[in-house]
Amino acid sequence: MGLFVDILLSGVAQGMVFAAVALGLVLISRATGTINFAQGAMGMFTTFIAFSLLTHGVGYWPAFVAALAMGFVLGAVVERTLVRPLRGKPALNPVIVTIGLLIVLEGVAGSIWGNVARGFPAAFSQRGLVIGTTRVAFSHFDVFIVCAVAALVVAIVALFRWTDLGLRMRAAAFSPEVSQLLGVRVGRLFTLGWALACAAGSLAGLLVAPLSSFSPYYMDLNLVYGFTAAVLGGLLSPVGALVGGLVTGLAIAFVGGYVGPDLQPIAALALLLVVLMVRPQGLFGTTEVRRV
Amino acid sequence: MLQVEELSVRYGQVRALEGVSFEARDGRITTVLGANGAGKTTLLRTLSGLVRNQAGTARFDGQPLTGRRPEIIARMGVAHVPEGRGVIAELTVDENLRLGTFSRLRRVERRAAVDEVYERFPQLGDRRRRSASTLSGGERQMLVIGRALVSRPRLLLLDEPSLGLSPIVSAQMMATLRELTSEAGLGAVLVEQNARSALSVADWAIVLNLGRIVVADEPARLAADESLRRHYLGF
Ligand SMILES: Nc1ncnc2c1ncn2[C@@H]1O[C@H](COP(=O)(O)OP(=O)(O)O)[C@@H](O)[C@H]1O
Ligand SMILES: [Mg+2]
Repeated sequence: MGLFVDILLSGVAQGMVFAAVALGLVLISRATGTINFAQGAMGMFTTFIAFSLLTHGVGYWPAFVAALAMGFVLGAVVERTLVRPLRGKPALNPVIVTIGLLIVLEGVAGSIWGNVARGFPAAFSQRGLVIGTTRVAFSHFDVFIVCAVAALVVAIVALFRWTDLGLRMRAAAFSPEVSQLLGVRVGRLFTLGWALACAAGSLAGLLVAPLSSFSPYYMDLNLVYGFTAAVLGGLLSPVGALVGGLVTGLAIAFVGGYVGPDLQPIAALALLLVVLMVRPQGLFGTTEVRRV
Repeated sequence: MLQVEELSVRYGQVRALEGVSFEARDGRITTVLGANGAGKTTLLRTLSGLVRNQAGTARFDGQPLTGRRPEIIARMGVAHVPEGRGVIAELTVDENLRLGTFSRLRRVERRAAVDEVYERFPQLGDRRRRSASTLSGGERQMLVIGRALVSRPRLLLLDEPSLGLSPIVSAQMMATLRELTSEAGLGAVLVEQNARSALSVADWAIVLNLGRIVVADEPARLAADESLRRHYLGF
C-alpha cells in the first residue's frame, strides 16, 4: 500500500512536468502547426542560464524568473528567424529545423557548460512530507511543481477562453487567412504562441532539473514523455496536455515502480503507439478539429 | 474610392489578370462577372493583399493597396468576404462577430456593433452561443456579411456570396446588400457567377474573361446584349 501511494504521488509530480512540456508543444502546434523537437532543449538551455546566474550569486527566484523570460524571448526569436521564413513551404521543413536547433542547443550548451552531470537546486525541500506518522514520496518541491504547472494551465486556458487576445490567437490558429482579412496581425500572434510555449518549456526545465542529473541532455527523455502526453491530449488543447501529462506520468511511475526504470521509455513508446492506433485524435481531440 | 489601374497578376506561368482597370464608388455596387477561371477571385485577393501583383496599382481613397499586407488593408476599411464564406467553424457565432470588431472599433463601441448585427439578422442572435459549424448555409452567409459589416468598413469585397444559397435566400442577401450600400454609403465589389441576380442589383458591371476586362457597362445594357450574355454570362 505504501509503495502504491508513493508511486502514485511521484507519478503526479512527474506528470505535471510532462504536462508543462506538452503544453509548450500544444501551443506551438496550434500556432504554426509545427512539432517543436527543440522544446526540451530550449528549456534545458534557459535552465543552464539560470544555473550560470546562480553560480554568480544571483538568488534563486530572480534566476528562475530570468530563465522564464529568456524562454519567452528565445521562443519569439526562433519563430521570427527560423520558422517564419519557412511559412508556405512543406510542413516538414520547420520540423526539421527544430531538430537541427535541438542539436545546436545541446552542442552549444555542452561547449559552454560542459557535458558533465551536475546538481541543480530546488526551490523547496525535496524531503518527503510527513502525513500522520508516515513519510510519503511527495515533497514541498513536488507541491510547488503541481501548483506552478496548474497555475500555468489555468492562465493559458483563461487567456484563450476569456480574453480578446486569446480569441485572436485561436482564430489565427484555426483560420489564418480569414483572420488576416479581419485585420488580425496573425504573424505577431504566432510569435507570441512560440514565446509562451518556450516559457512553458523553461518552466518544465527548471522544475525537472533538480530531479534529474543535470546535463545538456537531461530534457531529451522529458521531451519524449511530453510528446506522449501531448499526443494523448490531442495536441490541441491545454487541458488535454494536462491530463495527457498526468496519465503519462502515472504510467511511467507505475512501470518504474513495479517493473523497472529501464522499461520506462519503452512503456511511453508503447503508450504512444496504442494511442496513435486506437485514438489518433487523442483523448480529447475530435477528428473534426484536428489539423493534420 | 477604389481605383484599379493596369493590374496584372501571374501565378508562375499562369496569367490570371492582365491590365485590369476600373473604379468603384461609394454607395455603388460594382459587379465583376465572368466564367470559372476568369480571374475574379484573384482580383479580390489582390485588392485585399492576399496575392501580390506584378504590375499596376490599386488605390483606396488615394492610398495604395498594392504592396500592403492584408491586416493593414483590413484596417483601412476594406472588408473581403472570401469565396467559400470564411466562417471560422471552431468559434461560436458571437466570437466570429467579435473578431470583426477588433481592427477598427474602440473597445467601448464593440458590443453595440455586434448587437446591431443581431438586430439586422435576428437568426444569428438566437444562435450567438452556438458553434458556427452548426449554422445553415444562409445563416453562414449572414454571419460573414455581419462580421464584415461589424468593422464599419467603407468598401466590401464579396466573392460569390450567393453560391450554394437557395434563390430566395440569395435574393434576400442581394436586397440587404442594396440597402446597405444605398443607406450607409458603403461601396461594394460583388463577384458573381450568378450574373442575372448580380446585374439586377448592381450599378456598374464588368465582365472578365481569361484575366482581361472584355466589357464594362451599365448592368441593364449588359443584360440586354444577347450575344454577350451567351458568350460570357451563360444565361
Ligand atoms: N494559387 C494559384 N496558383 C496557381 N494558379 C492559380 C491560383 N489561383 C488561381 N489560379 C489560376 O488563375 C486563374 C484565375 O483563377 P480565379 O481567380 O480563381 O478565377 P475565378 O475566381 O474567376 O474562377 C485560373 O486559371 C486559375 O487556375
Ligand atoms: Mg472564384
